[in-house]
Amino acid sequence: MDLAIETIDLTKKYGSLVAVNRLNLRVIKGTIHGFLGPNGAGKTTTIKILVGLLKPDGGRAIVLGEEVHGDNPRARLKIGYMPELPKFPRHLKGWELLDIYGQMYGMPLQERRARIKRLMEVVGLKGRENDLIGEYSKGMQQRLGIAQALLSEPELVILDEPSLGLDPVGMVEVREMIREIAKDGVTIFLSSHLLSEVEQVCTHISIIHRGICLAEGPLKDIISKISGTAILEVEVAETPDKIVEAVKRLPFVSNIHVEGSKVMIETNADGDVRPQISRAIIETGGTIIYMNVKMRSLEEAFMRLIMKSG
Amino acid sequence: MDKPWKREPKLIGQLWAVVRYELLWNIRKKKFIGVLIVAFAITTLNLTLPVILRRTYNMPIEANPDYVISNSGIGGLMLFLFALVTVMNSISGEFEGGTIVPLLTKPVSRTLILIGKIVAAFITIFAAYLLLYAYMIVGGTLIYGSQNNLNLTPLCILGDLLSTFVWVSIILALGSLTKNTILTSVIAIMVFLAMNIGSSIISVFTESAWMLHYLPGNGAAGYIKVVGQPMVYAGSISTGTDNITKMIIQYCLHPSVNVTYVKVEWRGGTPQGGLSSLLKELYSEPLSLVLFRAISVAAAYIIALITLAWYVFKRTQILE
Repeated sequence: MDLAIETIDLTKKYGSLVAVNRLNLRVIKGTIHGFLGPNGAGKTTTIKILVGLLKPDGGRAIVLGEEVHGDNPRARLKIGYMPELPKFPRHLKGWELLDIYGQMYGMPLQERRARIKRLMEVVGLKGRENDLIGEYSKGMQQRLGIAQALLSEPELVILDEPSLGLDPVGMVEVREMIREIAKDGVTIFLSSHLLSEVEQVCTHISIIHRGICLAEGPLKDIISKISGTAILEVEVAETPDKIVEAVKRLPFVSNIHVEGSKVMIETNADGDVRPQISRAIIETGGTIIYMNVKMRSLEEAFMRLIMKSG
Repeated sequence: MDKPWKREPKLIGQLWAVVRYELLWNIRKKKFIGVLIVAFAITTLNLTLPVILRRTYNMPIEANPDYVISNSGIGGLMLFLFALVTVMNSISGEFEGGTIVPLLTKPVSRTLILIGKIVAAFITIFAAYLLLYAYMIVGGTLIYGSQNNLNLTPLCILGDLLSTFVWVSIILALGSLTKNTILTSVIAIMVFLAMNIGSSIISVFTESAWMLHYLPGNGAAGYIKVVGQPMVYAGSISTGTDNITKMIIQYCLHPSVNVTYVKVEWRGGTPQGGLSSLLKELYSEPLSLVLFRAISVAAAYIIALITLAWYVFKRTQILE
């Protein structure tokens, strides 16, 4: 399995506080990998180690096959990084900043001019490229942050809270942008507080808490592993007591509760269990008015995992 | 996907990118533009004030072929101000503004970033001095007629740059250590004032003027004395790193003179024989040695302090 990011027992301490605690992270190439955790979980610290802003106190970090150790520019060559609430020199114009950064990546003049023109359109800054960054709003600086992260057509894009400071339209645009970039086989490592955003765009996730990785893998697998596959919501015409007894006997049913005429059935089966449940209800003489499969949300799984770990 | 420039970006291109980044900042700094205007105003005043005064009193304007060479050498305060406004926030400003994060995550080493910032400071100050000297030469020629020894101008600019870079390196090291522009500026100003006030006191009233040869700033005050002649002073000179240009000019014009150090010795009562009777001659040394030592001391400060700035910058972790 080709990995874009791998950390082995990565550790970072701030005095007595262990911000990242023997973290083992594996991000597969070509995936959109969400990096989740509550405030202070160690997400930003981990990212800062990956991009060379911090030195780890222990363990290893390997990014696109390059060992990250201190000031190693080679390791940053194929990475595009957008920090949380990025800040850029106010005295530079938008295009000047991108042109200078492009030059730092070694991009030839023609290529970077064409790329800057394209990116300014993509991030919605067309027409403002000649303005000083000091005149940009927070949202515009955020957009410029995304543009500079994508400038060198990187193999790995690390986005730390890319939607922070954006209006709802901007948030939707960012999601679309992430999906578009991923189509070209670019790996995206996305740290976000917006679980709905992660759920909508990510294929894989890692959840960390207190510097420890609690779960990692494909998004759907993680959700089902933590919360079970689904909840079946069934509305019946009769009093549901008999039905509850019958459904409870099914081997894949893990929990069941009644809300009026609705029966909520939690299952831990991998496949579709609606036929078995329908049969069990009908056999008791019940009449199904309505049946709906409610998938577990990432938010639910996330909360369960964090609460469980204390 | 894998383009040639992605495999090995050219170092010179990356360096130029950092220089451009810093140069655009330098020339758009209001403080820098302000100091440049002040420097031009002082030069203008220096050029025109004698003319205005002579015109006021109906006196003829005399030709002065040595005007430019005798006024060469940017004063200590201006040297310091140019250094201060150019690099006071080169490092600390990046940390305070948070702009260091996107900068350090580009594929450019921290060493190259610091080199780029120093090169940009050099170009900025060099361009400012070039303009000032050009203005003084053109103005001097127009007002005072044809000028002598203009061939020394490149050496003068070089001397001024060396003097300025002593302060540049002090300020860069402070910025790297404190990561705070105000603190850097306050400490730098205090060091500048201490060196100037302290050197005047030490030089005039004590016999420890020798120690000033090894400190940045104004240095010890001495008299230029023609070798072999008793106590005939041909002019005064300061020996510190701020006065390298003045020493270069003196050395080029009078290569075999000595610098004699004196102290004021107050014996009470009215001095017999005028103020010169209060001066006690301490020791003399050739101007060539004084100049060589000043250049060496300046170079040593520049190398040591830039190395310190580099060491701290290289090891700094970005916590915020």
